[in-house]
Amino acid sequence: MKNLFLSGATALMFPAFSMSVFAEERVLSIGGSITEIVFALGEQDRLIARDTTSSFPAVVEDLPDVGYMRALSPEGVLSVDPTLIIAEEGSGPFETIEVLEGANIPFVTIPDGFDRAAVATKIQAVAQALGVPDKGAQLAAEVDAQLAALDTNVDAPSRVMFILSTQGGRIMASGTDTAADGIIALAGGINAVTGFEGYKPLTDEAVTLAAPDVIVMMTSDGDHGSADQELWSHPAISTTPAAQTQSLVRINGLLLLGFGPRTPEAAATLHSALYGEG
Amino acid sequence: MLNATDIELSIGKAPILHNVEFQAQSGQLTAIVGPNGSGKTTLLKAMTGDLPYKGIVTLDGTDVQAIPAPSLAARRAVLPQAAGLAFPFTVLEVVRLGLTAGLGAQDSSLPQRALAHVGLAGYEGRLYHALSGGEQQRCQLARVLVQVWEPTRNGKASWLFLDEPVSALDIGHQLEVMTIARRFADAGGGVIAVMHDLNLTSMFADSILLMNSGRTVVQGNAQTVLSDEYLSRAYGCRVRVNVAPLHIQDAPYILPHMADLI
Amino acid sequence: MAIIEAGIPFPPRQAGDRSAQAMAVLVLCAVLLLVMIIASLTVGASGTSLLQSLFAWASGEPIGLREKVILFDIRAPRTLLGALVGASLAVSGAVMQGLFRNPLADPGLVGVSAGAGLGAIMAIVLGGMLPPAFAVLTGMYTVPIAAFAGGWLSTILLYRVATRKGRTSVAVMLLAGIALGALTGAIAGVMVYMADDNQLRDLTFWGLGSLAGATWTKLFVAGPLIVLALATTPFLARGLDALTLGEATAGHLGIPVQRMKNVAILTVAGATGAAVAVSGGIGFVGIVVPHLLRLSIGPSHRYLLPISALLGAAFLLGADMISRTIVAPSELPIGIVTATIGGPFFLYVLLRNRGLLDM
Repeated sequence: MKNLFLSGATALMFPAFSMSVFAEERVLSIGGSITEIVFALGEQDRLIARDTTSSFPAVVEDLPDVGYMRALSPEGVLSVDPTLIIAEEGSGPFETIEVLEGANIPFVTIPDGFDRAAVATKIQAVAQALGVPDKGAQLAAEVDAQLAALDTNVDAPSRVMFILSTQGGRIMASGTDTAADGIIALAGGINAVTGFEGYKPLTDEAVTLAAPDVIVMMTSDGDHGSADQELWSHPAISTTPAAQTQSLVRINGLLLLGFGPRTPEAAATLHSALYGEG
Repeated sequence: MLNATDIELSIGKAPILHNVEFQAQSGQLTAIVGPNGSGKTTLLKAMTGDLPYKGIVTLDGTDVQAIPAPSLAARRAVLPQAAGLAFPFTVLEVVRLGLTAGLGAQDSSLPQRALAHVGLAGYEGRLYHALSGGEQQRCQLARVLVQVWEPTRNGKASWLFLDEPVSALDIGHQLEVMTIARRFADAGGGVIAVMHDLNLTSMFADSILLMNSGRTVVQGNAQTVLSDEYLSRAYGCRVRVNVAPLHIQDAPYILPHMADLI
Repeated sequence: MAIIEAGIPFPPRQAGDRSAQAMAVLVLCAVLLLVMIIASLTVGASGTSLLQSLFAWASGEPIGLREKVILFDIRAPRTLLGALVGASLAVSGAVMQGLFRNPLADPGLVGVSAGAGLGAIMAIVLGGMLPPAFAVLTGMYTVPIAAFAGGWLSTILLYRVATRKGRTSVAVMLLAGIALGALTGAIAGVMVYMADDNQLRDLTFWGLGSLAGATWTKLFVAGPLIVLALATTPFLARGLDALTLGEATAGHLGIPVQRMKNVAILTVAGATGAAVAVSGGIGFVGIVVPHLLRLSIGPSHRYLLPISALLGAAFLLGADMISRTIVAPSELPIGIVTATIGGPFFLYVLLRNRGLLDM
């Protein structure tokens, strides 16, 4: 019944789809996690281009880059001649999508989400768009099982603060309803910052009040040693328990925040970083 | 004729002009003289509408404020004291700006004739910025002349308002420019000129308004106005007025009283 | 049109008369624009092969949907919009420089850019909070509409502040513009603070400008506004020329100075507002183009304004071609291209005018 409904919806959404399955299909993937899912599904041979945020696995960087997912240019997209576009929620702008629809190119938007269920939904949606729902169901089940298998129960969960950037001494941290908030929860931590949604600059006092036990940041190019020193010497950070134990975790941004097939790995990595191998 | 009645004018809260009365006839050159800060230029600016004033200024009986800008421009041209240019126009382009105002004559040879008139023949292609101060002043005069080329039109006088037209000029060009103004008046036009040089004024003006501290001291012909008494009162120093010995009959000429200075 | 109005289509050569030169440059720029329009229709991320499709279409042969969409739904509106935006930015710059009697003035001086920017920022950040009925009405064009409204409101505000007893002081307008700029900057700061990660990205891209969002709808809405504004400029030429001698002298030359200021300010607010609304922040066109032309044909607005329109259009189409091919299939925001050309040029203008500015 469910399958019937899905295939019906597919037929409605992508009228050209049933034909293109057999024709040589050219898939454009927009969004880092979407591209990862295409690879995880083993459908990477159909990919002909990607957006700027798609950087994993490394081979994907050999594909043409049609620009940042929220600022796509219609001709840039058409120039790679895709027959199917799979895009993360929030891709755009609207004008571009409108033109692409005018060109009869199926544009599938994959809903975003930051919890265990969202990962499975995403995988299944991408697989559906690619016409490989069985592979999707299998991968979704695998990833979900990995997430379920994670033993993240701890006696005393750590208070974790995710810092997006420290530009100019200003701490930009994650509140609730973000990928960072989601992965902290999956790893068995507690987000230390809950007063707002999204990523916002925190006042020094709010940093002190949040009192994180651990700070999580994305890896970046450059000298982490000196960057770490700079972080610990920040007046507000230096008052936190994290500074006393020098507890800083750096993880690749796409791995940590992508909410794709590598999310179990990200959660496990973060969990062990938070609580040690025990 | 131009008639200014009971002109009062303040800039900010500072009163500049007090109950000034002024008349100028067409066919005459009327000069406005007085010491620095006496309100000569301010009076001219009131009459040209550049500064808001109380009182009435009429041109041939009509309030100038009631005359639409284009028709006023066709009858009256104003030569400002200093005229910088925002952009690098050529001399010809500047003089042509006068053409745009005249409603009748659009003779495209006028600018060149006007330039020749003020002694700038052959300067057409020069950049205005590259001219000397005196050349710029004469270039502006040519523009003004182009605007009201005919001293009378349709039986009405055209008017030239000149703010210190010879201040930057050497003696030769002073005479040249004053002669142009004189001929304009002789041909039936009206000329009003703010002047510094009393001797030039004496030689060329039919009527002179002498001002001091924003008030009229006296208006009349040269023999009346340019007296030891009026001038000493207005300028605050003793001057001796003499009668020119040469061809200019009965024109007074003025020398400061040296005894006061030594 | 302005030239015919001048009554001297091909005037005899005369020292100091640069009309013939200007006519030659006008023809040159018109040809350049034509070339740019054709190039803009044939050059793009998908290559130049579409020239054949265009010929095929012109000769009545059927062409593929993809080619059709690229030519008629992407390149055609983008080319037309780019030309109109370029023309309006350049002409607005020339008008502002004439009005403020300063070769470095730009439409930003009347607050239209700051206001439009704030409008766009508010629409991007607060757009989601709009009442649903309003959101349905404005749809995906909330940002352009808000930008246009913001530009207009701030211009009207500045104009009101600077106008006393029926006279508008350009000096007061300039200073009030600085104050308004600070205020809009502060409000924009609040918006940036409130913005989430994605909105911040959108703000950045909007500020860098792009013609990528060109659609027929945008062209039909913004196009008439820009054309209307451009159509009024021939009537400003004489007044702006006279204004170079100062406001008082312009008045004595019979120019209705106050009315001219009104028209000039409204024209610029309309043209720039519409241009910024559909293309975001594109800098320097308004300074580079008129200044370059003044160097070759002189400052007479009778020629400067129409030729600025032609050259501005050609310049922006050229910049847009760079923007959409240099990193294809991705796209470099066009503001980066114009600023890369315009920034050094602006510096050069400053250096050249250093002596004058110190006076």
